[in-house]
Amino acid sequence: MSSSPAAVAVQDRLFRALAVLRVIVLANAVALNLYRWGHYRHPVAVAACVTVMVLWTGLATWLYADPRRRTRLLLGADLAIALALLVATPLVKGSGFHATVPGFWVMAALLAWSIQYRWAGGLVAGLLLASVDLSLRPEIRQSDYGNAFLLVIGGPIVGFMCASLQEMAADREVAERAAAMAAERARLARVVHDGVLQVLALVQRRGRELGGEAGELGRLAGEQERELRTLIRAQEAVTPTPADTVDLVSELSRLERSGSVTVSTPAAPVELPAAAGRELLAAVRACLDNVRVHVGDDAPAWVLVQAFPDRIEVSVRDDGPGIPPGRLEQAAAQGRLGVIGSIRGRIADLGGSAQLVTGSGGTEWELVVPREAPGLP
Amino acid sequence: MSETEENPPLRVMVVDDHPMWRDAVERDLVAAGHDVVAVAADGREALARFPAARPDVVVLDLQIPAPDGVEVTTQVVAQDPDVKVLVLSASGEQADVLAAVKAGATGYLVKSASREDLLAAVRRVAQGDPVFTPGLAGLVLGEFQRISDAPTPDPAQPRLTERETEVLKMVAKGLSYRQIAERLVLSHRTVQNHVQNTLTKLQMHNRVELTRYAIEQGLDAD
Repeated sequence: MSSSPAAVAVQDRLFRALAVLRVIVLANAVALNLYRWGHYRHPVAVAACVTVMVLWTGLATWLYADPRRRTRLLLGADLAIALALLVATPLVKGSGFHATVPGFWVMAALLAWSIQYRWAGGLVAGLLLASVDLSLRPEIRQSDYGNAFLLVIGGPIVGFMCASLQEMAADREVAERAAAMAAERARLARVVHDGVLQVLALVQRRGRELGGEAGELGRLAGEQERELRTLIRAQEAVTPTPADTVDLVSELSRLERSGSVTVSTPAAPVELPAAAGRELLAAVRACLDNVRVHVGDDAPAWVLVQAFPDRIEVSVRDDGPGIPPGRLEQAAAQGRLGVIGSIRGRIADLGGSAQLVTGSGGTEWELVVPREAPGLP
Repeated sequence: MSETEENPPLRVMVVDDHPMWRDAVERDLVAAGHDVVAVAADGREALARFPAARPDVVVLDLQIPAPDGVEVTTQVVAQDPDVKVLVLSASGEQADVLAAVKAGATGYLVKSASREDLLAAVRRVAQGDPVFTPGLAGLVLGEFQRISDAPTPDPAQPRLTERETEVLKMVAKGLSYRQIAERLVLSHRTVQNHVQNTLTKLQMHNRVELTRYAIEQGLDAD
């Protein structure tokens, strides 16, 4: 039996609810007994039984309030009293009785067993109460059978649900603890990262000022500083997204390269269906590869992501010499539009458009993709 | 440019919890002829020393012991709307930078920037020019898009003009002000003004939101 604090808290709640129920079913039983007072063979004995119920309700409520007092002895006594009152019924009311003295009050003991011992406890208590009830009756009517059946079936059901609630509470407790630990780890990581970045930036700066070998150290520190910053940014952008979508912000942030590729995005995640997102990412990578091939390995390039309600716009720009006029037409005529064709093709498949603007101020791709891509390949 | 020739010394305050950094930045500023009127190692010190120091520019690290850089920015700009805040951040965490800019900072530089970049940035923010990186421009563009996508747009909310959006987009694509001026056939100054307006509007929007939030929460009573 699970005894995690969360599981105990669930039991506490359920026993508090049961305490209220106990009073309600007690009031019902007392009222019915008073109503039928005139028909009893031994009114004093009935009064004694009712007094036992009242006293036990008060005592049980107090005893069940503390988890340490919920012992086998208490549960056993609870059920034994309910059974004893059933057994006493033919003696105090005569054998031709219809309703038992405790009536529905016996459900309190049944539910206590369900809460404490789960479905098995509910089943045992239900079977005992039902069989004793039925065995006392000279004739079993439809409603007697119905009540007994409800006891037998209700006990395990409530017990099963109590167990499920406890398991869920325990799971949630574990998850909450894990989340708190992850948050604390992230906070510590931020502090460590910030400290490391500060020192790397400082070494870089002082190195540059001192020159010589120190300058080389500074340059290395600078490289590491940029790498680490890029990594932190990519990590920061990792957000839980549904399995069938990708977040363009985090994916494109990974393409950032120190000193060459700058990626500018909105602060919030930008989600696209996974298939469309992968195609768009591949197109952006192809654009950046093109920059490396035609402008230079470390040539600066800028990626800008903008999210509109109906579309995503991604621009990839470089500061290179641009493509000379006529060069594209010539390549097209020779059937050598490989990379450009593949970028256009990927975006067209997504129902979007890819525009290439080139000139002396560099080359820029404007990729526009609808957010609800029709007919994915 | 003329701004490097006529160089009135500026009153600068340096806020950084890293003593070596604080000293390095202070040394560079003093060497360039500026007046470092105060230094602070955390937000509490910064806010305590700010009123007496009356700096023109606050060079501020965002990751400082509480109150953090964003809160310090909000407070100093509230006390002196003319003060300029230049954020100098080691990690450049996106959310923090955007929050600082919304709170009133007009410049952002990563710490690895060179001494020359730092001095130029201090000079520029002091003159009222925002110091933008393409990444920051992308964040600001995204923020305005978010505002205009709101299901119930509020006519009181400031919006970017088409021209401002165009300029900001070009900054985000890595174009320099000079390149933008050439492309749009504008003066360098006009481009600067457009960029500056986008920041002013973003900060206005932030104040409108904060005020509305305060009214909704019933905090406007006092």
